[in-house]
Formats: sequence, C-alpha cells, structure tokens
Amino acid sequence: MNSSSGEGRHDDDSALTEFLASLMDYTPTIPDELVEHYLSRSGFHCPDLRLTRLVAVAAQKFISEVASDALQYVQSFQFLAFFCSIELRIMHCKARPAPPVKDKSKQPKDKRLVLTMEDLSKALHKHGVNLKHQEYFADSPLTGMDPSSREE
Amino acid sequence: MRDGGRESGRNNEGRLKRNRPFGGDDFGRAVARIAVAQVCESTGFHSSHRSALDALASVLIRYICDLGKAAAFHANLSGRMESNVFDLIQGLEDLRSSQGFARASDVHRCLVNSGVVREMNESFMTAEEVPSACPFPHFPIVRFQKPMPSFAQIGETPPGEHIPDWLPAFPDPYTSTHPLPVRNERVTDLHVDETEQAWQRRKAERSLLGLQQPLACNGMAQPSPAFDGDGGKGKQVVASNPFLAPPLPYGEKEVSEIVVPNDASTGKRLSVLETFAPAIEAAKVGSLDCGVSDERMLPNKRSAVHFRLGMDRELVVVPFSSSTLGEKTGFWYLRDDEKDGKKQRAELILKEAMKNPHELAQL
Repeated sequence: MNSSSGEGRHDDDSALTEFLASLMDYTPTIPDELVEHYLSRSGFHCPDLRLTRLVAVAAQKFISEVASDALQYVQSFQFLAFFCSIELRIMHCKARPAPPVKDKSKQPKDKRLVLTMEDLSKALHKHGVNLKHQEYFADSPLTGMDPSSREE
Repeated sequence: MRDGGRESGRNNEGRLKRNRPFGGDDFGRAVARIAVAQVCESTGFHSSHRSALDALASVLIRYICDLGKAAAFHANLSGRMESNVFDLIQGLEDLRSSQGFARASDVHRCLVNSGVVREMNESFMTAEEVPSACPFPHFPIVRFQKPMPSFAQIGETPPGEHIPDWLPAFPDPYTSTHPLPVRNERVTDLHVDETEQAWQRRKAERSLLGLQQPLACNGMAQPSPAFDGDGGKGKQVVASNPFLAPPLPYGEKEVSEIVVPNDASTGKRLSVLETFAPAIEAAKVGSLDCGVSDERMLPNKRSAVHFRLGMDRELVVVPFSSSTLGEKTGFWYLRDDEKDGKKQRAELILKEAMKNPHELAQL
C-alpha cells in the first residue's frame, strides 16, 4: 500500500511539474508585467516566473468563465426576444391577411453580441461578486421629483 | 438621512469635477482593460459597453490581488517570506471554495493533486493561445532621486557655525538675485525709468526660474545648465510651438496705440459690430486662413470698443469719456435700416449672449 501511494504521489508530482513546465511555452492573454505589478503590491514575493504564469492563467480562466456566462445570458435573451417576436407576428398574421413577411433582419444571428452591465452583473453573481450598476445619475437630489414637492 | 441630500449633491459635484477617482493606477487599469477586452473577444463578444469593461478590469485586478494576498498569508503562516507553489494552490482553493472544486471535502487531500489545478490543466489544454495584443514595459518605472550634495561632499565650509556640514549645501549665488542693491541704485537715480523697472522684475523672475530648474532636474541624470536667458531657448520654443514662446520684453515689438475717440469733435460712436466688421467681411469672403488674411484685414489703428455696463435687458451704450454722460444714449441695435441679414443675425446672437450671462457661466 505504501508503494502504491508512493507511486501515486510520484505521478501527481510529475503531473504538476509537467503542468508548470508547459506554462513556460504558453503565453497567457494577461501580460506578465501586469500580474507581477499587482502581485508585488499585495505582498506575493517569488522570483519564479512559472508561478506568475500560473496566476495569469488562473485569472484568465476566471475572466473567461465570467465572460462565457455573460454570453449565455445575452444569447438566451436574444433567442427569447426572437421567439416572442415570431409569436407576435403569427398572431398578427392570423388577425388580418397580411402581405408575406419579409423580415430576415430580425434574426438573432445578425445581431451583435454586446457585453452589458446587466449580463455582467448576473454572471458575476454566480461567481460570488456582487456588482450593482446605477441606472442613471441625476444632477441634484430634486431631479425627477414632483413640482409640488419640489417647491416644498 | 433626508437632510443629507444637499451635502451629497455637493459631494457629487466635487466628484464630477475630479477626473480620476481611482488614483494613480491608471496605467495598470488600462492594461487590464486591454487584456479583458481580448478575453471577451476570444469568448465570442463583438463589442462591449465601456462601463462593463471597466468593471471587469477591476474584477480582474481584485482577483490577482486577492490571490497574491492569500498566497502571501499562507507563506507567512508557515514562517516564510517567499511564497511557493503550494501557497498559491492553497490560495486558489480559498478563492474557489465558494463554487466548489473536485475533492474539496477530502480532509486528507494533498495539494499536489488538487482539484483546482487539475481543472486548470484541463481548460488550459483545450483553450487556444491568445497572446497579449501589445508588449508592455515593466511598470512602475522607479526613478531614483539624486540627493542634493552636502557641504562636506562639495568641500565647502558652511557659512555659519550653527550649520553642520552634513546638511545639503546652499544653492549657487547665480540662482538668486538680491533686490536690495537694485533699489539703492534706483534711490540714487532721480529719474525712474519704467522700462528699467520692468527689466529688474523680469530679472528677478528669471533668477527664480533658475533656482527651480536645478531642483526639478535633480532626479534626472543630466544636470541642467544655468538659465542663460530667453534668447536661445526662446527661439527653440518658437520653432516648435508659437503659443509656448516666452513673452516679448517691453518695446521689442511695435504695437499700435489705442485711439481715444474725441466725442466732441466726431460725435460718432463705434459699435461692436462695426469694430469687428473686417472680420465679418473676411468670413463672408470665405477665407479661413488665420495667418495672412487676418493681418490684411486688421486695421492699423485700433479703435475703442464700447462695452455694455450693468445687467439691464436694454443695451445702453456707455460712452468712453465721462464728459458726454447723459447726452446721447443711442440704442445702436435699433438701427435696422443699415443692417443686412448676416449682421442682424450676429446682433441677435450678441444680444442673447449678453442678456443671459448666467447661462453662460453654467456651461
């Protein structure tokens, strides 16, 4: 049993070392200088470049997960909107004999995928980050109030 | 809570006026924004709102900082200053614990075969490599300030027994001029020349500049030379940007004298429109060159312009010399028969601008 566990540990060790070695060949999207700057600011001190790359890869994985979740929200919303618009058109067609529908422009494929604060906040909420975005900013506290109460 | 409305309003105004609420980390944030945009693009987004990109960049920076802090904490807990891979894996597990990872419940798990690292390895194998868009320098750039040499380093004896020699030396005498001897000269000189006064003032300002320059350039490798004067440097500046050229000394350029109108003799007052008539005609002609055409159009003698005094709605011309006050107050804007369409429009604009000055202030 000891030998088998020892072999298992050896495999795990080699897996980790191989992973760290392969990090040197891979260039993460997040630049090393940025990661080094913020790591040194937070007290992390290590001259090994492989660990910096590990942090960069971990951060990239986190951001890509958040972005893919946000993309799913955007695509599901667009599909829902497209589906609802089709239903409405069917209802209109049944109500009156309308000319042939020629709207291919409303397909969700042609619509651009835009990252908005709403989708981002929903995606981040899944990962434990609470992001609240103000819908609008007013010039003064009395903006938007009733004129009668404003006079008071 | 209700009463805090006004104060918060004032605070908001102050915050709006400040351009940088995040502090001096703008370069790091910009780099993070670029990296995040690249990741979003590789995920499949076509575009993004700027606020969303900024928020995601902040999240990225927070993530890196939190990971570094956790790893440093684990290293310090083990009695080490330098972190190693196991501290980092423990930090990753801490951050990932809210969502969960494989074998998290295993109490006797080893960090070598941690589930977090395994997940990362799997995603790393499948993901395509997207390198950073542009190379970044190592930042922040640390500049070492060269300290001012002390008396002992220069080899100078300090002027006074109360000054120890390890203190920084005094600046050179050419960087400062004492105004007292100049004043004595002026006292002896009975005829005070105005140009001489202005020259003395300029000399004092120059000496101040000369004192500030070596102090400012202390951090840089090259020592600054003595401030020789406006001549050489001014010409260089003029060649590059005429707006940054040093001001001309008095008397160097001939400027036309302002002609004070003699109301008793001529009796004609010039309006703002008539003064700017050459410019308006130039605009009509269509020549938009600032250089040559303006010089051609400007008259040699500058005539006085009458300005409106007071905040009244009616535009009342106030004559330049006080002697003719109360005699004729011509409403120049009522002379409709003399104007044509464009002049009328210009008049209207001027009128509206002068009627509502408080609106202009708000802009």
